[in-house]
Amino acid sequence: MTGPLQHGQIRVRLFAALRERAGWSERSIALTPGQPHPTASDLWWQLELGGTAAKDDGALPASLRVAINQAFASLDQPLQAGDELAFLPPISGG
Amino acid sequence: MALRVRLHHDAFDPLAALAAWQRHLELELELDPSSPPEPSRQRAAAEAHFIGRVRGINAAGEPLDALELEHYPGMTEAQIEHLAAAVSARHGLIHALVEHRVGRALPGEALVLVAVGADRRGPAQRGCQELLEALKHEAPFWKREWIGSSGRWIEGNTPL
Repeated sequence: MTGPLQHGQIRVRLFAALRERAGWSERSIALTPGQPHPTASDLWWQLELGGTAAKDDGALPASLRVAINQAFASLDQPLQAGDELAFLPPISGG
Repeated sequence: MALRVRLHHDAFDPLAALAAWQRHLELELELDPSSPPEPSRQRAAAEAHFIGRVRGINAAGEPLDALELEHYPGMTEAQIEHLAAAVSARHGLIHALVEHRVGRALPGEALVLVAVGADRRGPAQRGCQELLEALKHEAPFWKREWIGSSGRWIEGNTPL
């Protein structure tokens, strides 16, 4: 289960194939005071979720979607303290 | 509009779930003091139902032992409710039910039940199909096929 977030942190969650590739399901990330708030796209690269592809060489997977606070969101939306960011691999429900 | 969304962590009987939902709707009508009932509380003249089950063979023709469904607790339920409300508004549905399996399911077991009611067959059938397609693509579920001890995540959905 998810624990409480410390002040100034965001929670990052991974699901399904992304979780297994990364080897973790949840992390807390501290925002850096005085720095621009990161976006999901920024954290994708910071957390090396794309594998070994360098930022200049690789592109975000076309199928990648994210949710912020359990609602679909843009990869470019700046994150706020207390947010829950989830990286969502391609959905297959029903 | 009456709406129910349920996730099942164990096998469920979709026909029993449908019967329970219909008893609930009838009870709501009996309890409704307005006469005639509010438009949103009318008895639906047309119903459309869909039951999806775990297939026994995957796209490559291999026999499957199980299908695992992962979901995003909280978001999945909220997103299905959001999708159902939007589809219901678009088609004028009177009621909508979505019951969905999560966890490890065996071939033949029910994965999803979608049941909607409307005043006419067109909106009922179109609404049922649209809601099913919406939750297949827009509700955070992920499928993993299991053959023996080997699991493979499925990206995307089978063709309509």
